[in-house]
Amino acid sequence: MRVVFKLTKRLLEKVYARLEQSHPFAFERVGFLLCRAGLLDDGGVVILAHDLHDVADEDYLDDPAVGAMMGPNAIRKALQTSYNRQASMFHVHLHLHRGKPHFSRVDESETAKFVPDFWNVQPVLPHGAIVFSEDSACGKSWIPGLRAPIDISQFSVVGIPTRKL
Amino acid sequence: MKEADRAKLNLDRQSFLGRNSSSVLDGTRVAIVGLGGGGSHVAQQLGHLGVGEFVLIDPDVVENTNLNRLVGATQQDVAKSSSKAAVAGRVIVGVNPGARISIETARWQLCAIALRSCDVVFGCVDSIAEREQLETAARRYLTPYIDIGMDVHRMAEGFSIGGQVALSMPEGPCLRCMGIIDDRKLELEAQAYGAAGGRPQVVWPNGLLASLAVGFFVQLFTPWRKELGLPVLLEFDGDAQTVSPSNKLLYLGEHECTHFADFSSLGDPFWTVNDLRNRIAAGKN
Repeated sequence: MRVVFKLTKRLLEKVYARLEQSHPFAFERVGFLLCRAGLLDDGGVVILAHDLHDVADEDYLDDPAVGAMMGPNAIRKALQTSYNRQASMFHVHLHLHRGKPHFSRVDESETAKFVPDFWNVQPVLPHGAIVFSEDSACGKSWIPGLRAPIDISQFSVVGIPTRKL
Repeated sequence: MKEADRAKLNLDRQSFLGRNSSSVLDGTRVAIVGLGGGGSHVAQQLGHLGVGEFVLIDPDVVENTNLNRLVGATQQDVAKSSSKAAVAGRVIVGVNPGARISIETARWQLCAIALRSCDVVFGCVDSIAEREQLETAARRYLTPYIDIGMDVHRMAEGFSIGGQVALSMPEGPCLRCMGIIDDRKLELEAQAYGAAGGRPQVVWPNGLLASLAVGFFVQLFTPWRKELGLPVLLEFDGDAQTVSPSNKLLYLGEHECTHFADFSSLGDPFWTVNDLRNRIAAGKN
């Protein structure tokens, strides 16, 4: 299945601006993109990002073993936002280098734990996780009805210019 | 020249559009809705540019009254009642045999799902109501929408030609923000519904407006200078033969569009997991 992720240039700039800010103790910041979805004519799915849900400073856990560890409040607030706004949720964080980023082993194991939890509040929507680099991105989407997450095959940034990451 | 080289579109003369411009254009999927006077010009130019993928939508066939402006159409197409979309496809493939083309001869509303995977939608339709529907469909999927409109007005002392090209970007001003669509215009159009007689149309304003629309497209996908601004509304005065950024832009400024600001205006309004499961079960994935 083809999964396409679209967001505006303005929203992507907002993501970078927020996630690049330093945190009092965590090494990096994380957030969630609120999204909606649609089917494509080739049987794929398009995910359309609308806004950034921020993780508050106090909702990180002080865990020097990882870049950023969300506490239970961060997850609870994200679940509540997903429920209230009927949103598909995509966890986002940055790897500050150029070129195609990859999920680290910790990213893989942590996202596999909490992303499917969003089906408890929005069971019919896809959810997922994305890593942005300075000029590229990679991501996975958990699609209802499929057991394993699917790699996002295309990222489109809509603006002037419009480009594919 | 070898046969294989002849069959490949050579884009060396437009390499100033960027090092990767050929692959960007080849990887771009464009929908053109309406392949009449305006859309046929757009299709031809995008074919020359090397755009790789097209969704061409028009339910109409070529009639002899179209030949005064329909690029690529011939007397034979009139005789054979060729579809306008197929004629546009033939023009594109004649220039770029590698183009992937999907022809839709239904009304666009019946095949709107094909628009969802497009990187840009060109609206070359006649009615204001259809413009609004098409823009809404494009905005739902965060797709830039480029609209062209041309009109010949009857005046007391003769006729006047005018038109505009508008770029409706997600989060930017929409056609309502720009004043191209409003309730009064929709009401007047609805009152005139069914009025007999074809609207006057001529080739050169269509060609000019289509060229400006293609200019918008190139600036969106392969800008030749990064700092170029992009006025979202150009107005054509066919009597004075001038094109200028609309004065309405002065009032729009950093205007935030409120017509499409709602989260629920994105994506499939009828999304159900059943559709997805049915597709998975049917092996479409």
